[in-house]
Amino acid sequence: MGQLHRSDVSTETPTRATIGVPIRPLMRGVDNAILGGVCGGLAIRLGVRERVVRIVFCLLALVSGVGLLLYMLLWLGVRRSDESRSIAQRLVGRRNKVFNVVIGVAAIVAIFIVLNRLGMPDLGIYAWPFFLTVIGAVGVWRGASPEELTHLHDLAKSAPIIGVAASRTRWSFWLRLALGVIFIVFGLKILHHLSGSFGKDTTAALFGTLILIGGALILLAPWWLATLNDLTGERRQRVRMEERADVAAHLHDSVLQTLTLIERSAGDEGAVKRLARTQERELREWLFNPEGSVDSGTFLSDLRSLENEIENDYGVRVDLVVVGDCESNERVAALVAAGREAAINAARWSGSDLVSIYAEVEQSTINLFVRDQGSGFDPEQVVSDRQGIALSIRQRIAQRGGEALIKSTIGEGTEVQLTLPRST
Amino acid sequence: MQPRVFLVDDHELIRKGIRSELLGSVDVVGEADEVDAAIEIILERRPDVVLLDVHMPNGGGVAVLKGVVDTAPEVRFLALSVSDAAEDVISVIRAGARGYVTKNISGPELLDAIYRVAAGDAVFSPRLAGFVLDAFSLEGRHLEAGDIDPDLDLLTPRERQVLRLIARGYSYRDIATELSISVKTVESHVSSVLRKLQLSNRHQLSNWASQRHLN
Repeated sequence: MGQLHRSDVSTETPTRATIGVPIRPLMRGVDNAILGGVCGGLAIRLGVRERVVRIVFCLLALVSGVGLLLYMLLWLGVRRSDESRSIAQRLVGRRNKVFNVVIGVAAIVAIFIVLNRLGMPDLGIYAWPFFLTVIGAVGVWRGASPEELTHLHDLAKSAPIIGVAASRTRWSFWLRLALGVIFIVFGLKILHHLSGSFGKDTTAALFGTLILIGGALILLAPWWLATLNDLTGERRQRVRMEERADVAAHLHDSVLQTLTLIERSAGDEGAVKRLARTQERELREWLFNPEGSVDSGTFLSDLRSLENEIENDYGVRVDLVVVGDCESNERVAALVAAGREAAINAARWSGSDLVSIYAEVEQSTINLFVRDQGSGFDPEQVVSDRQGIALSIRQRIAQRGGEALIKSTIGEGTEVQLTLPRST
Repeated sequence: MQPRVFLVDDHELIRKGIRSELLGSVDVVGEADEVDAAIEIILERRPDVVLLDVHMPNGGGVAVLKGVVDTAPEVRFLALSVSDAAEDVISVIRAGARGYVTKNISGPELLDAIYRVAAGDAVFSPRLAGFVLDAFSLEGRHLEAGDIDPDLDLLTPRERQVLRLIARGYSYRDIATELSISVKTVESHVSSVLRKLQLSNRHQLSNWASQRHLN
């Protein structure tokens, strides 16, 4: 089947091996990569199953570590199919490459000298490929692209034992402890084996190992930190981009739309004011209460929606000040309803363009004040169309054991003072 | 004599708008659109009142206050902001501003506030009064005995009364009538609240603002 489609496939890099169809050139795989994508890439290149290549590499690794070394060489030397340069090319292409090369060579030489001193030949033929592989791994780590590093990072994260994610569970802690102890014991065994007895020589070897690790850390720490920074920097960049997109979307939906509306209703002063105020309130809410942290079902949220309603429906400004807050219930709702009536009266009749609402939640009572500096009226001579005052304000509050006081002076304004006990 | 006023705001449109509103009523001696320039020119020209935007790059209004207050304590600041976030308001007041009004204040109200600040009084908007009442209310807040300076950490009943009336939208004159005291007495109560706000080292005050934001 594959052969029939060969011409199609060869136009772009396939992400999976097509059995029986070798595809040039050799590139490391991306989608089918476990570690570096070498086996996946080889499978595509040779037209065989990935599993076959992987098994061959594992077997080769057993032959004096040749498989490891080969894998490392290909990892360094072959480019990933979605990139233009191999890791080796990247490493050499760095700005301060002379310095890098000098440091790298010096580090390798130093490591070999120390290893020879420690009796490397005694460890047998496995040691050399292993250490060369380690050096190659360092090269990969320094030279890989951010995408590849992210892939490796994720791999390390999801791996058991060393993974960051796994380390949170108690089980993995014990497992890690056990493995660590086993490794240390074996290491000491080898040192013991080298020197024959736990004497001066073992101590010297141990000391040498520590110095080796220390040296490696000193040499590699800046690189390691730089890699970490690169990764977090990239992640931060991505988060920032996403946030920016969110903000842009929000501004588009709200502010831009409103501005268009304002432009359209430029002749209508009332509409423009109303639009501007609504938008202002919305934007304020969004800026200062992210994720709608003012929960609904409280006195404060009830008052906020009252403020919205009055500003929208009557085109007046509402100055809402609230001290304290409490859960909303039937009593609170009644108080807000009475306040609403008072505010509507102020907005409708007073002629003032500002209604001040002040609410204070105390231990045993709630106070609500609705004030305007408009025309005022004589409370003794309430005309019939203001029956609302008697019914919806006084009665509502009195029924619940509260007190409603209406103070008004003609020409100076009106204030409705409502006090309600928090419980009966 | 007209007070000499200096404008600090990073938005040109706002500066223009304020300038035209104040035209003829005060003597605008200059303006600045960023923190460092503002400090330098304010120290050079020594205006009576600085209208200070709270939100600016490089530290905002608080940075300007910090740069000026020690060297030129006679320069008075009136914070002008679109923000209603409690921590912004409280932090400029604590840094030394003598008042806080929002930018949608009407022209005559702004003038009144400027004259008041120039005369050494404090200017509290209803919202600021609400914040202060909230911050100084003892209910539900855990005060640690050692931290409290009783003179500074409590408002007197009269001060509370005045603040409540401000929060209810009363002008100083209305308050004076309501409480049957003189406007001067109202002013002195408000100034005393301002002093407590600025000098109180009660750390709850700063915590309060952030708590409130989370609530």
